[in-house]
Amino acid sequence: MSRLEAKKPPLFISEPLTRDAVSQSLSLLSGILKSSYGPAGRLKQLHNGVGGCVCTTSQSSALLGHLSVSQPVLRVLTASVQNHVSRFSDCGLFTAILCCAFIENFRSLNVAPFTVIKISKHLLSLCMDYLKSEACACRVSVDFSNVETLVCLVRSILTSKPACMLNKTEVDHLTMLVLKAFLFTVPCHVETNAILGKCVIVPVKGTRVVDSTVLPGLLIEAPEIQLGKPLAVKRTGSNAIKTALFSVSMAGDGFNPEEGTIAVHHGVSLEASELNELLNLGKQLVKDEVGLVMCQKVMHPCLKQYLKENGVIAVDRAGLCLMEPLGRLTGSKPMASIHSLSLGCYGSLKDLCFESFASKHFIHLIPEDTVICSLILCNRSETAWDELKRVCETAEHVLQLTMKEPLALLGGGCTETHLASYIRHKSSHLPANTFKDLDCSQTQYQLVSDGFCHSLETVARSLGHNNGEVLTDMVYGHCWFVPSGSPCVSNWADLVSKCGCGMNSNTKDLNWRFLQGQSSSPIIQSCPKEPSEKVTDLLTLECFAAKCSGLQVALETANLILDLSYIVEDQN
Amino acid sequence: MPMAFKDVNTRRHIGLQQLSSLASPGRTFLGPMKSHKFIVDESTNQSTLICSAVRLIESLDLTSAAGQLLNETIQAQNKEFKTGMSTLLFLVGAWSNAVMECLQQNVPVPAIVSVMSEGLNSCCERVQCLQIPIHDVKKELSEEVIPLNSRSHQGDDCHFNKCLVSPLAGFGSVASLVKAAGDKSSSVLSGSGVTASSCITKKLTHSRHFSPLGKSHFSSQQDNFQGYLSDPCGCCGLGHLAVALSHGNQTSMKLLQSIAAYQQERAECRGSSQLNIAEIVTCCLLGLPESYSCVSPGFVTLVSPEQATVIKHFADKSLRILLMDGDLTEQYRHLGFNRPRNVRTILEHPNPQESRAGDTWLSRMLDVLMSLEVNVVLVKGNVCENLMEGCIASRILVIGCVVWDVLHAFGQVTGAQAVTYLSQLNASCVGSGAWAELWKASDGRAMDLGELVPVRLGAGGIPLLTAVLTTALPSRAQLLEDQFWTLLYRLHHALKDGKVFPGGGAVELLCLSHIRVLAEQPQRLGNDKAVRELPSPWLAEYKSIVLQALASGWKQYLSVVLCNTAKAGSELEAGASVDHHLQKAAACASPSAYVLEEFRRGGVLGDGSDPFPDHGKTLKVFDNVAAKTEAWRRALDLVLLVLQTDTEIITGLQRNQLLNSHVSSEFMFL
Repeated sequence: MSRLEAKKPPLFISEPLTRDAVSQSLSLLSGILKSSYGPAGRLKQLHNGVGGCVCTTSQSSALLGHLSVSQPVLRVLTASVQNHVSRFSDCGLFTAILCCAFIENFRSLNVAPFTVIKISKHLLSLCMDYLKSEACACRVSVDFSNVETLVCLVRSILTSKPACMLNKTEVDHLTMLVLKAFLFTVPCHVETNAILGKCVIVPVKGTRVVDSTVLPGLLIEAPEIQLGKPLAVKRTGSNAIKTALFSVSMAGDGFNPEEGTIAVHHGVSLEASELNELLNLGKQLVKDEVGLVMCQKVMHPCLKQYLKENGVIAVDRAGLCLMEPLGRLTGSKPMASIHSLSLGCYGSLKDLCFESFASKHFIHLIPEDTVICSLILCNRSETAWDELKRVCETAEHVLQLTMKEPLALLGGGCTETHLASYIRHKSSHLPANTFKDLDCSQTQYQLVSDGFCHSLETVARSLGHNNGEVLTDMVYGHCWFVPSGSPCVSNWADLVSKCGCGMNSNTKDLNWRFLQGQSSSPIIQSCPKEPSEKVTDLLTLECFAAKCSGLQVALETANLILDLSYIVEDQN
Repeated sequence: MPMAFKDVNTRRHIGLQQLSSLASPGRTFLGPMKSHKFIVDESTNQSTLICSAVRLIESLDLTSAAGQLLNETIQAQNKEFKTGMSTLLFLVGAWSNAVMECLQQNVPVPAIVSVMSEGLNSCCERVQCLQIPIHDVKKELSEEVIPLNSRSHQGDDCHFNKCLVSPLAGFGSVASLVKAAGDKSSSVLSGSGVTASSCITKKLTHSRHFSPLGKSHFSSQQDNFQGYLSDPCGCCGLGHLAVALSHGNQTSMKLLQSIAAYQQERAECRGSSQLNIAEIVTCCLLGLPESYSCVSPGFVTLVSPEQATVIKHFADKSLRILLMDGDLTEQYRHLGFNRPRNVRTILEHPNPQESRAGDTWLSRMLDVLMSLEVNVVLVKGNVCENLMEGCIASRILVIGCVVWDVLHAFGQVTGAQAVTYLSQLNASCVGSGAWAELWKASDGRAMDLGELVPVRLGAGGIPLLTAVLTTALPSRAQLLEDQFWTLLYRLHHALKDGKVFPGGGAVELLCLSHIRVLAEQPQRLGNDKAVRELPSPWLAEYKSIVLQALASGWKQYLSVVLCNTAKAGSELEAGASVDHHLQKAAACASPSAYVLEEFRRGGVLGDGSDPFPDHGKTLKVFDNVAAKTEAWRRALDLVLLVLQTDTEIITGLQRNQLLNSHVSSEFMFL
């Protein structure tokens, strides 16, 4: 007898943001993210508590990927940020921290949510218009004919994650490698629709970072290859190496039924007939003058032996990640069956050689002209390598984004404080009909605008992690960090030497003010200026596209969350 | 999957405390005089004898995140260098403590990270001037007469032999040993069955750190090694380097000298000066005294008496050899092959004569081997027992669990191609020209080691060498093997680096001296981006505290080694001794010149009370360059990584599990 239980009614939670549990979780999440932000950010150890591997990180993708949040409100937030990161790789923490700050700042205002949303959207459009205008003083243009700005951009990304454990020499070395790898992926002969190539990261863990290097072409790990022996490879008439690429398993177990049962007569061996098929395939490959056979999965040792005896190099276990670049590199079409070979599927290569890094051996596929390259990435420990890999991928992605839109924003909190200064200035000089259009009072606008600016400044403040003061100047609107434990002095110029992005030095009194909390008196801000002397080396820069998207995503997500009036939870 | 968070960033950093406590048992492994430890498993009452940081870490509970990271760090150093792990472990502990003291004094984390890592960089650059090219080392060492006495037991061996007499007295009681060391009249090597030679006047001879011994105190009886050491000119370069890197471990040192001599001969043919680690394997023989340890060309391994009889039948015949890179069983399939699950076999006409189907594979395989006249089969994996019996009956020697390097070496000289299945075998896969014999000790002593018989396989021109490690104590087998590989890798890396550091604390002393200089020059550090914007007066305040913390790691290292080797009665005394030398170095125009001069005189931290001060020439000791500096860097990286961590996030555990645990109050949930 089955027993039926009545369905439970769904649980309605009204005004979720007013609940204590929600605000506690929100401030906990915000605290974790803020403490991770920037080059001096604190690291988080993610582990299962029973001796599993430990991930030490301060990256939003790793952090949010491991977080499983039970609060629906927070889930909206993390999903938005993860979506942003999947599209831009960079500025994940910025987006998340800013979103939390918007929620916290706007919630405490005594203004109806729909008014807040309207005003904040207007403020966002002011920001975006400014960022996209020539007059924008917190952005620099990136000149691809000059490596200097690109170096700053890559270096800023590499140094933003302390868990990579890089020293200065290592940062310099990797910056150059990342740039070199990127340049390999840019096609030399640009036609109407140029497509960027791909940089494949090859892991070599447990060795020095400075042993990292970039090679054109691809590397496939081949443990049984014997080093030191010259590599004899069959070539076609045009001196190229003909290649074949298989995505199907060639292990000889292809007869396994997906479902159902096969009945065979005694004495019939499916294994033997499958092997026979494989050897027939081998014969065809030899006949077609193929010099290199690559397989994503496992190759039967007998097939390998047959190919080797006939002067064909066979490499198996290439892995799924290499399949697409292998196809692009050689022009081979991945074959998904061992029964049908067509001449059109073969590709070609210029050369092959052996390479070894630390204790790993590779076969190196050298193409004629390529946009595919391999970054052999080394770091001493597993946990630091993982972080470094994520950072290098971010840097490659940022370079690609920057190529589309050759701009960068000032880092080190300066873009945030500068934008805040600009908005403060702009919002106090708005034409009167703006408020009418927005259906709000000037006071309401001012309140929301203050919250907006505070939120931006909160992000800049999160870069300082040691209870030191964070300042902004009234001239350029840049961000300045005062070290903790500094003596109380009347002149800030004695304590700060350079602003966050490195553009300004404290040559003169810049009229500094604290960047903390809600101030009682309104801040009278003139339009922030652009520094007269442009410094170009050792600047901290950020990806323009990623930051712009982050700003928008943060506000839109915050508005969505502010607008929530009910959560309906299915109890069953 | 709920999340849990634990705040670790208090002024008493939990992660650093964990590192410190995990590292603390490792201090007795520093220096040439190591104390052994028993690891006792309380559940089984079994105990293991260990004497290295790697084995210690294997035995510790490492479920904490800091413990996991420490293990990962030690394993990475072990994988690459096989040496420097004890240094690494010690510095992790020392620097963790030092960093915690900085936190106590409210030094901000970025200042600690920046100054320490730049300080270490600066020190690593500074000590480059101490590097001695291998070429110079070989030349210098060859000019000295290096005693090669295999029968005099000194250094580590004394310690061991004492343990052999009375194991309980030896372990964990360095103090008692130390007493005996100074007492020339007493011999600790009595009744051990090993000749105690007249040289027992002082314990440490090849100490990396202290008190080298005058050469005249060695009795130069060379035995066992005439084979490879009879030509003093040919091998002395590498051989002497091996001595200088062995840090007093006599047994392994002698093996290394043989290997060096053998490989040098080959290296000259190949034109490469490097040691080929892949051509060396070890074989442990229990039941023979340690003095029987030696290097045998070819592959020495243990087989059953039945297999040994097959070898007797081979006599001096040239053998045909087969190499297999998987298991030799009917069920074995190559890696990545998925076994068929839903295949049913239908038997329509049962034939009673085919009832013993299982044997057909066996007979087919034997037929293949017989038809190709294979005599020896080396198998990487396991071997089916029935097939093994069949082969013995057919006088085919089958040896399982052979490492890939051995298969490769045989493949190179016999022309054999490794196969996975016997079914794929053809005549071109079978190699020829191999030989096999029973292994004999140097004195021709019969090997009756119970159930297993040592045999030696080879082929003309095979580059393979087996270090045969003999011991009467089963508990020491692992230890001997570890020590052998450590020394082998030291020599390998010395050749790979092309240079060595002077040993005996020279490098650490120069680091300490350099840190003094750094502390006095405000501009030299703090250019890192993280603190770039900080004005120098602020940084200067913390810089001296942090540099002191960095220095304290090496100072404690030297002090503990001085104590472990009984050169100082207490760490206080040892510290004073280090300070004394630092002052002398500072007084010199060039501290590096001072350090090198002291090294040349025979020991940087010698205390002047050397009993044989007249013997001008003394034994040199050297350290690896990359292994040492990498161990420092890895240790500091780990400490700084943990220092910068402020939160642990537990994934995967159920919320209830954590809520019910005794530490639930430490966690917060999202």
